[in-house]
Order: sequence, then C-alpha cells, then structure tokens
Amino acid sequence: MPVAPAREPVLPNPGPGVSSQELPWLELSQITVPGRGRPRLDRVSLAIGGGERVALLGPSGAGKSSLLAVANGQLKPSSGSLRWLGAPPARSGRARRRQQARIGTLWQDLRLIEELSVQQNLNSARLATWGWPRALLNLLWPLDTAANREALAQVDLGAELLGQPVSALSGGQRQRVAIARLLRQDPELLLADEPLASLDPRLASELLQLLLDQVTPRRALLLSLHRPDLLAGFDRAIGLRQGQVLFDQPASSIGPADLAALYDGELPGSGP
Amino acid sequence: MVLLPAALPGGNPGGPSLLPPARAEQPRSQAKPVLRIGAIPDQKPEKLNRLYPLVAAELERQLGVPVTYVPVVDYTAAVTAFRTGDLDLVWFGGLTGVQARLQKPGAQVLAQRDIDVAFHSIFIANTGSGLKQIRDVKGLTALKGKRFTFGSESSTSGRLMPQYFLAKGGVKLADFAGGAPGFSGSHDTTIALVQSGAYDAGVVNEQVWSTNLRDGRANRAKVVAIWRTPGYPDYHWIGQPNLDQRFGKGFSRKLQGAILSWRTSNPLQKQILTLFGAQQFSKATAASYKQIEQVGRQIGKIR
Amino acid sequence: MVAPALVLIPVLVLLPGLVHGGGIDLLKEFLQAAITPSLDPLVLGSAVSGLGVTVGIALLGWAASALLGLALALASSRQVWSSCCGQTWPANFLRRLLAVPRSIHELLWGLLLLQLIGLQPAVAIAAIAIPYAALVARVLSDQIDALPSGALAALRCAGVAAPQALVTALGPPLLPGLLSYGGYRLECALRSATLLGVFGLGGLGTELKLCLQSLEFHELWTGLWLLLAVMLLLETGLAGLRRRWLMPRRLGLGGLTFTPLGPESGAGTRGMGQTARPDDLGRRGREMVLALVVLGPLLVWLARAMGVQPLALLHWQPLPNLGGSSWASVLALPWPQLVGSTLLLTLVAAGLAVGLAPLLLLVIAPWPWARPLLQLTWALARLWPPPLSALLLLLLLKPGLVTAALALGFHNLGILGRLLLEASDDYQAPAEIALQGAGVGPRLALFYGRFSGLARSYLAYGAYRSDVMLRESVVVGLVGAAGLGTQLLESLSSFAWDQLLGLLVVYALLTLVGEDLSDRARLQLLAPA
Repeated sequence: MPVAPAREPVLPNPGPGVSSQELPWLELSQITVPGRGRPRLDRVSLAIGGGERVALLGPSGAGKSSLLAVANGQLKPSSGSLRWLGAPPARSGRARRRQQARIGTLWQDLRLIEELSVQQNLNSARLATWGWPRALLNLLWPLDTAANREALAQVDLGAELLGQPVSALSGGQRQRVAIARLLRQDPELLLADEPLASLDPRLASELLQLLLDQVTPRRALLLSLHRPDLLAGFDRAIGLRQGQVLFDQPASSIGPADLAALYDGELPGSGP
Repeated sequence: MVLLPAALPGGNPGGPSLLPPARAEQPRSQAKPVLRIGAIPDQKPEKLNRLYPLVAAELERQLGVPVTYVPVVDYTAAVTAFRTGDLDLVWFGGLTGVQARLQKPGAQVLAQRDIDVAFHSIFIANTGSGLKQIRDVKGLTALKGKRFTFGSESSTSGRLMPQYFLAKGGVKLADFAGGAPGFSGSHDTTIALVQSGAYDAGVVNEQVWSTNLRDGRANRAKVVAIWRTPGYPDYHWIGQPNLDQRFGKGFSRKLQGAILSWRTSNPLQKQILTLFGAQQFSKATAASYKQIEQVGRQIGKIR
Repeated sequence: MVAPALVLIPVLVLLPGLVHGGGIDLLKEFLQAAITPSLDPLVLGSAVSGLGVTVGIALLGWAASALLGLALALASSRQVWSSCCGQTWPANFLRRLLAVPRSIHELLWGLLLLQLIGLQPAVAIAAIAIPYAALVARVLSDQIDALPSGALAALRCAGVAAPQALVTALGPPLLPGLLSYGGYRLECALRSATLLGVFGLGGLGTELKLCLQSLEFHELWTGLWLLLAVMLLLETGLAGLRRRWLMPRRLGLGGLTFTPLGPESGAGTRGMGQTARPDDLGRRGREMVLALVVLGPLLVWLARAMGVQPLALLHWQPLPNLGGSSWASVLALPWPQLVGSTLLLTLVAAGLAVGLAPLLLLVIAPWPWARPLLQLTWALARLWPPPLSALLLLLLLKPGLVTAALALGFHNLGILGRLLLEASDDYQAPAEIALQGAGVGPRLALFYGRFSGLARSYLAYGAYRSDVMLRESVVVGLVGAAGLGTQLLESLSSFAWDQLLGLLVVYALLTLVGEDLSDRARLQLLAPA
C-alpha cells in the first residue's frame, strides 16, 4: 500500500458538501440524469474545493462515469445545476470552451492520438488556447519542446520520448504521457474515470501516487476508484449507489460497514 | 516538360482539339473578332487539316478579318459547337445542317457545291463477300445477314439517306449480322474497313469514293461499288445569325460572296475546290433541305 | 476466386459464331505497328501536346475533385456534424444527395456539360471533378465516421474548438487513407481524361481515336507508348510516395472500405508508428506541405496554359426547345431490353475481369519469364480506353454484346490484375512454401497457399469493380447493340433531350442499385468468417 507522503495538510474538510474555500472548484446540486428504468444520477449534490483529493466509490453501474461526464461537461443533466469555480456553464461556445479548458480529464482509455508523436500529443492539450496557425504547425513541427520536456520529467519520463509516436510506447509509458498531457493543459479541476482499472497493482499504485502528487492548493482531483483499498492518499470519499450519494466523508473515516453498505457486502478487487 | 494546349492560335498541325483558340478574348471584347470556321469530320483528319487551313487563309485574305480553323472530333460536336457559338461558319452535311439550323434559329445557309444539289451515296462491298451489283432499291435485301457499316451516326450520305433507301428496300438495321450495323465514324474509314474485310459492305459518299479510287487507296480488286443511290441535297456552309453584328453590316453577304467567287483559275482557290471535289460553289437556300429534314424526322434523327 | 471465370464458358461457346476474321490483315498491321511507331517530329509533337492536355485535364480535374471531395466529405460526415453542432441529419441528407452525381459516369457528365456549356477546356475538368468529388466525399466520410471518436471527444471536452480538434484528432489517422485513395483517384483521373478525349473532349484520347479511325496505326502507337510511359511513371511515382509516407499498401481498394487487400498488410494501417523513426512524423507532414506548395502553383500555371476559365462553367447555353419532345417517345424506347442487355454486359465483363486475373496468374505460375509480359499486357489494358478496344475487336468480331463485354472486361482486367499481383506479392504465405516443400506443383501451391488467403478481399474488390463496370458500360455503346450506352449515343446525336434525360435517370437508378448490391456483397465478403 502506498502511503501518502508527508505534505502540507490541506484545509480540513468539516463536512459533506461544504468547502472552506469561498468558491467550490466543482459544485453539483440536485443533478439528475435519466436512464433506462431508474435514473443514472438521482438528485446528486456535492462540492469539491481547491486542493482536495476526492475518491468516488461505488459498484459498477452506480453512476460514477455519469457523474464524471456531467462534471466535465460531456453529459447534460436533465435537471439540477452545475457550477465550475462558482460559475454555471456558459451559454456562448467560446466562453464555455474557456471554462472547459480549465477542466482536465484523464480517460480510462487515455484517448491519445496514436498517429501523433508524444510531443504533438502533449501539445494537443494547449489547443484550447492556441489559434489555427499553431494548431496546424503542431502537426508539422516540434513546438514548445522545453515545456513538454518538463511535463515528461514530472511524470518520470525522459525527453528522448518526445519524438516517438505514441503507438510505439509501452502501457505504463502511455499512462504517464496521458498524465503529462493533463499537466500541459494545467487544469484547475482534474477528473479521472477509473484510471487504474486495467493496470497491474504495482503500476496502479505508482500511477495513483503520481496523480495525487499533482494536486496543489489551486487544483482539485475527483477520481473514480474501483478499489477501496487504495483510498489511503485521499482526503475525502464519496460513495455512490444506484445513482444516489450514500456517503460523503473524510477518507480516513470510511469503515468496513460503509463499504459493505455500498457494495452489498461484496468487496470488489481488494488486491490481487 | 512540354505542356502545350493542342490548339495554338494560328495553326494546328496535330489532330483536332477541344480548345478553341482565342475564345478567351472573344465575346464583347474590343479586340478584333476572329472568324472561327469548322467542318464535320467526314474524312481523314489529315485531309481536313490540309483543306481547312487553306480555306481559313483564303477567307482571311478576302475578308480582311482573322480566320482560324477549329477542328472537332465528331458530327454531334460540330452541331453543338455551332449552337453554343464556338464556331461561326461550318461546313455541314445535309442532316447536321438541318439539326444546326433547328437548334440555332436564324442561322444562314450560305452556299453549297455544284455536286451537292444532287448528291449520291455509293454502297460498296468487299469482293470476297459474294455481293453482286444491285439494280434497284429492292436489290438491297442482298445485304441482309451481312456485316455492314455506316459512316458517322449523323452523316447524311453515310447513314441517313442510305438508311432511308435500305428501309425502302425492306432492310431493317437489325437484319445485319450481329443484329446491328457498325458506325465507322468517317467515309475514309468505311472504305478501309470494307476493303480489309472487317465488314462485308458499307456505304460512303460518292465524292470520297471517287477520290479514293482516283488516288488508288481503294483497291478495285478488294472493294467495289455495288449500287449508286438516287440524288439528294447534301453538304452546305452555314453561318451564325449574328455575323453582321459582330463583324460589321453586310458581313454575311461579303462572306457568301467570297465563297461563291472561288474559281479554278486562281491557283489557291483551285487547290481548295479540288480538295472539296467541286468545280465551284453556288447559292443555297434552306428550302432545298426540306427533304432531308423529312427523312431525318422519319428515321428519328430530327425531332 | 476463379469461379467468376466460368462466364468464359458461354463466351467461348459464342465466340466462334462471332468471329469473322475479316480484319485479320488490319490487326496484323496494327500489331506490327507497335514495334514501329511513327517518329515523325510532327506526329511526336502533336502526341506530346495532346498528352500534355490529357495530363493537364487529369491533374486539374483530380485536384478540383480532391478539394471539393474533402469539403463534401467533412460536410457529410456524421462525426463532424455531431462534434460541431450535435446534429447528424444534415450529414445523412447530404450523403443521399451525393449519390446522384456519383451514379453518373464522367463521360456522361462530359457530354452533358458539353451541350450546356460548349467547347470549353473547363468542361472536361468539371466532368472529372463532379463525379470524383462525390466519390471521394463518400469514401472519406465513411472513413472519418469509422475512426474512433475518443480522442476527438477528449479534445472537445478540454475546451478545444471544433475545427482545431477535428484536424488534430481526425487528421492524422485519416491521412494515410486519404493519400492512398487520393493517389488511386489520380491514376483513375488519367484514364478518365484519356477516355473523355476519345469522345472529343480534348487531349491525346482524341488523337488516338482519330488515328484508329483513319487506321493510321504507326501514329496510334506513338501516342500509346507515350501514354503508357506517363501512366507507368505516375503509378511508380505514387507507389514510391506511398512507401515513403508509410501508407497502407493500396486500400481495400475501390476504397469503400479501407481494409487492405492482403490480411497481412492490415498491420500497416495502425502500426505505422512501429516502423516510424522518431522524427518521421513531422518530416512526413513537412514533405506533404512542401508537395502541396509545389503542386498549387503548378496547377494554376497549367490551368492558365490550357486557357481554362472556371467562370465559363457558369455561362450556360440554354438547350434549344426542339419541340416534338414527348414522353411517349421516351416510353417507347425498348427499356426492358436496354436494361437487360446493359446488366448482362456488366455481368459478362465483370466475370471475365474478375475471373481471368487469377486464372492467368495461375497459368503463368511456373514460368517466371512470363510475368513481365503479363504485366505489360495488363498495363496496356488499363491504359487502352475500352471504346478503342471495342473498335479494334470489331476487326475480328461481329458487333454486339459479347464484343462490348470483351472490351470492357479487358480494360478492367488490367486494373484488377495489377492489384492482385501487388497484393499477392505482399502476402506472406507460409502455407504456399509449406506446400511447395511438400512437393506440390507451383500452380497448386499458389492456388491453395496464397489465393485462398487473398480470395475474400479480392472478391470484395471485384464486387466494387463490377459496380464500376456497370457505370462504365456506357462507354462501349459505340459497338452497337450494347444496351443503354448505344441508345444514349444515338439519342445524343439526334439531340433528343427527353430520351437523354430518361436514359440518364435509368442509368443513375441502375448504378445506385448496383452500388447497394456490391456494398452488401463486399460487407459479406469482408466480414470476419
């Protein structure tokens, strides 16, 4: 089990949904997403503040992916409201894109562009702020090498990978490149949808640590997790069951009873 | 790399092309308008390329306007080019001339050759085909079951009138071997194909036939004439309706006069007339082609 | 795989009845002329300038179709629409609409535009550009929609504007297919430009037709050899670029699906990266941009040299109302017979082309020396416009459906044969080596070891090609008694617009149905067993 390294304690979280910051980084209130039969999300409310590391737990089908999709703006809820850094999603396309540029998502399937080099992939995170000319030039010329080198260093990769096509990398390298791409985006809200699902245990804990390390007072992390045994580095955990929030409390206070209620007594993959 | 448009203004030794010279500066520009002449490609391109540049040069000398020859690849294209205004003066056959006038109301029939008043087609046969001389229309039934070729689809002497006479003699197109006649494309080709034996028989215009006999390209041992059709009006010069507007008042008259003035006493004009197979040109009127129009309608080539 | 060659049996049975051999002397002359083409400077000069026009028409038509096709492909892609505005119906609508220009052969476009616009160099270019653009649009939009959408969604989600996201996420994976298909279309454009010439739309085709018509074989071969040189140069050049830019071998050809012909080469599509050296990706992009930068001015110069005026296309000459047009005369055409013989013609031609290519390869398998000979024959077949082969065949055969089918089949045999040879060379067949090791003869080893692996994708391409042949059947109408094509030329020379329109509609319907059938056949053949 990795242990969270000693670091400045983040502001303690007094209670569910209440952040000590003035503006929650992400705020959902009464979010409902319809589904077949029962709603995929049923009046879900939560708030996450800067510097928080929040794990999202729940059995499969509980609505974790839907919640993340609502959080990054991919999925429009049928009712309820969503606020990013205190502001609702903008109506105008341009303003909305500016908001979304501040939200970084680590996808389970990484969604790297296979045909492009590592450098081009890293740069693709900057496209939201780049105009046409740079977007096209990125396909032809290595741009921003220094910044990319630094991003790779942060995920323990060497700069020699910059010119490699992504399709030539190993699984672990790809995961790290995806994280480096997030770093290049420099988002304030980091969302991750089961990033560890298909990884071997050693790699999973390394990667989790890497993600947790990226949280700074001006950046929050919401990560959906299928293994409650990896909760150690998180500040808070939210349990989701049948589209509803079952619990929302400090990670350290999660006990076996909470988990049993969440998973109906069947704990998923608690280690190999 | 040498990439040149096939048609260069002023002369085109190569084959026909689609690129009419100088159309770019043609319409409504202040530059001197060019008279573009054309002809249905009824004979070998080599012969057309010898004849029409001569005609262009002579008309240019007589009329004092620039004249160019624009070759076209088939009969239909000549009619279309006349309708779309890409050709100002065209040497048409009987049928194509009627088609062109119907499509361009106001087009003027300017002149025909002496031989065009009563033109004839000649049915020819390969000597190995077993076909004998034919005495009258009824005798055409001998052609049933033979491999037979016309010239161009729109040729008056190579298709329209022969088909008319064939029908009179009771021969349908489906009666030929293979269920259909061939269309060789031109009179010269018809002669070559029949002579080679590729077809048993064919039909050509009389003037081209006699020229081929005279210069020895038709070998009497291999190909012979078997029937001469009755006479009918054929080839003629047709001009655009707007020639007077574009080239000045009275230009059409002047143009007609120039063509009519060609005589064998002038060496250049003699060369032209010889290539045309004529003694001289005479006035022609649209009315002379009524019969062609009727037959054209019967056969479905004019509607 | 060789089964389609079964049509050979009825054809061989009918053939003796059709042969008249009357023109055997002319044919001998024609073949002898092949080794003694005319080298007269005048003939050479005229052939070179004709070739220049043909190449110019091909290049300009191709470039216009590529640009237009790319734009239309984006506009008819569901993925693009859903990414830009969340709707897909405009894409579906445009797709249906584009089926119409696609279903009409470029020759028909040429003849139609010629009637409407007149003798303009732009006509031939537009005739190629219109149907090609619709074809390119369909192939590319299918391809775009088949690409995984994850990366695009991810970029959009990170606030990237739609155009930049589309270019970055879809551009690179689309590129190999785009270039490969683009190259293939350029080869097609050269053939089409030659064919248009045969029907009077300018260039070398015109001269070839006139030489053949006036039986000037030495001059004919001068043009043919030049054209062959240009075609082979183009094909080798494109193959070289394809290799250099690491594209998949050729497409699954016909390119409606891009499954490469050989199962083995499938790895090449995705796994481009495995072989790419680190800096290759940017370098390839830069080279392509450079190529575009060179190509652009070249095309502009070419267009100017040819006197192309795109605006002339807007200057329509109204069709004269010739009166007497009545729908009765359209209905009076023998439709069932016309449609029937068109379909029969297509089937026989397709059977000949699809079946003969592998059969010939089998026949020559034991003799390595016969290969280049076969390749040359196929190159000539590709290059030789079908109406000209039809005219040549008439020297030996009676006019009619079989003669037309032979001409059409021969042309397509050249295209299919080359493809099969390429795929077969690429295909690693351990089974064949094993069979040979076991003492099986070269023919049987080839048949069981190699062809069995290639059969499905080859037949799938054959299905696509049959659909092309249906569209092409119009060009052998010259032969007579060959269905809709013959009637179409006759109606055209009678300026019977109403009949022409009726024929066009029927042709379009037929090809749309044919396309649908060949799509189904292909999907079935390509579906994993």
